[in-house]
Amino acid sequence: MSPTSSRVGYAILTALMVALAVAWLLPVVWVVVTSLKLTENIVRVPPEWIPWPATLEHYGEVLFSSSRTARIGRAFLNSAVVSLGSVAIVLLTSAMAAYPLARMRFGGRGPVFGLLVGSLMIPNAVILVPQYVLVQRLGWLSTYQGLIVPEAAMTFAFGVFLLRQFFLTIPAELEDAARIDGAGPWQIFTRILLPLSQPVLSALAIFAFRSAWNDFLWPLIAVNKPDMFPLPVALALLRGAYAAESYGPIMAGAALSALPLLIVFLVANRRIVEGVRVSALKG
Amino acid sequence: MRPRRARRRSALTPYLFLAPGLVLFAAFRVYPLLEGLWLSFTNARLGRAQQTFVGVANYSRLLDDTRFHASLLNTAYYTIASTLPILAVPLVLAIALNRGVAMRTFLRGAFFFPFTLSVVTVGLTWLWLLDPVIGPSTYYLRALGVPVRSWLADPATAMWGIILTSVWWVTGYYLVIYLAGLQDIPRELYEAAALDGAGGWRSFWGITLPLLRPVFLFVLVTHIIGSFQIFGQVFILTNGGPGDATRTVVQHLYETAFQNFFHFGSATAMAWVLFLVILAFSLVQFRLLRGHTQY
Repeated sequence: MSPTSSRVGYAILTALMVALAVAWLLPVVWVVVTSLKLTENIVRVPPEWIPWPATLEHYGEVLFSSSRTARIGRAFLNSAVVSLGSVAIVLLTSAMAAYPLARMRFGGRGPVFGLLVGSLMIPNAVILVPQYVLVQRLGWLSTYQGLIVPEAAMTFAFGVFLLRQFFLTIPAELEDAARIDGAGPWQIFTRILLPLSQPVLSALAIFAFRSAWNDFLWPLIAVNKPDMFPLPVALALLRGAYAAESYGPIMAGAALSALPLLIVFLVANRRIVEGVRVSALKG
Repeated sequence: MRPRRARRRSALTPYLFLAPGLVLFAAFRVYPLLEGLWLSFTNARLGRAQQTFVGVANYSRLLDDTRFHASLLNTAYYTIASTLPILAVPLVLAIALNRGVAMRTFLRGAFFFPFTLSVVTVGLTWLWLLDPVIGPSTYYLRALGVPVRSWLADPATAMWGIILTSVWWVTGYYLVIYLAGLQDIPRELYEAAALDGAGGWRSFWGITLPLLRPVFLFVLVTHIIGSFQIFGQVFILTNGGPGDATRTVVQHLYETAFQNFFHFGSATAMAWVLFLVILAFSLVQFRLLRGHTQY
């Protein structure tokens, strides 16, 4: 191909891909458009893509009104507490565990790492019922810890795997130099390894946040007080609370629930992609 | 005395670093896994304090549970039917993006975005899009002259509505993985092939596909583990209906344990059968796609 014809070819390909990407996002646009429409305009056919006159009444209703169902505002708070709590535990425990697995020699290192990686293949469905039994025995049903701890345990092994891969790439000379200066393992961990690992730590934080924020099945069974529902459960019940034709409040709730990850995604797009990449290809 | 103590302390160090994570892991992953296996041989129920061993009764009951059979078939159908789109759609997009198109970051982000949503948000979105009366897809398809049915209420099409929803949800994730795999293929291979006169298709079949084999393996195994546990999409879109047409194993398990019978013994037996099925499928994939590609 001559340079000009290939340039035209790329232009066509780009145009095609942009059209496809816009089409891919149309469902999301439709959700937002619906959430901003007056109730009587939502059901109008043909579909109207410009929500005019626009209203925020559906947002107000799902955030604050408690008349029909669990308030999305409260669920938002619950999801934030659970997700951030789980992120903190995952980061701490998996970074601490990954450090010796990457940088120290000790008995049992191979089997421990093998067990953790092997556990990534175990379907969560197998653990669902016995985990319920355990959490019930602990008296943790409908509590934050009953959501945070199992979510963190679910992501822990993946976190170890991801961080160990990264720790292995840090040159040993840095550690040796610090040891000569009298630094112990804890200082090496907190002053050298962790600061150098910020990109991969934030990738793991986003991953853990996403999986806790979006998990549905576990909170569906582990929580039975409406005040403790996280967003996905509250949203699923919102659907039952409204008649089929009133999509406005449901779509407002859906849009709200997507907001935090949208912001994270816009800020840290590259990091997320890098995290997915690293996790998959080393597997 | 002092050096010896110091040495003992340093021998303990790795275990101290491992301890918090391993306690969490043992208590909330390993222990439930084993307890689940035990429960599947008991008559455990919600609220029953003591369980007794009942042998393989739960497993043999599954042989007569027609709803379990239907859900196992539905789950296998969903997994197998969605495999080709899950393998192909992201691959085609990744190859197009890898060709040096402009706005790559935006494009990749657009396809990836649905993956950041929860399954409930995704399910509600498609429920609305596919609404048989006032959904936009209904309107546009009708305008194009396509006979519109109530897709999700028709046993023949309901599962395809769920597959469509899933493909939209996860395509971006696999797209990113394929893109990384494509970037790891050395450019020189294509250049050498072009010098030998190989066209686009030849180098796709001869270079791209074989060298992506490890990526295919990852995608397939991840897809199988995930799809066999499909729950959220079904729960939101069809709740297993119409009839039992889209009921899946995890949904049946959920209903058995937490909605209808509160029978933990049966539910854990289902979970272990599912586990074995997933294991078998994964091993087949490993066998098929294993082996080193050498050039």
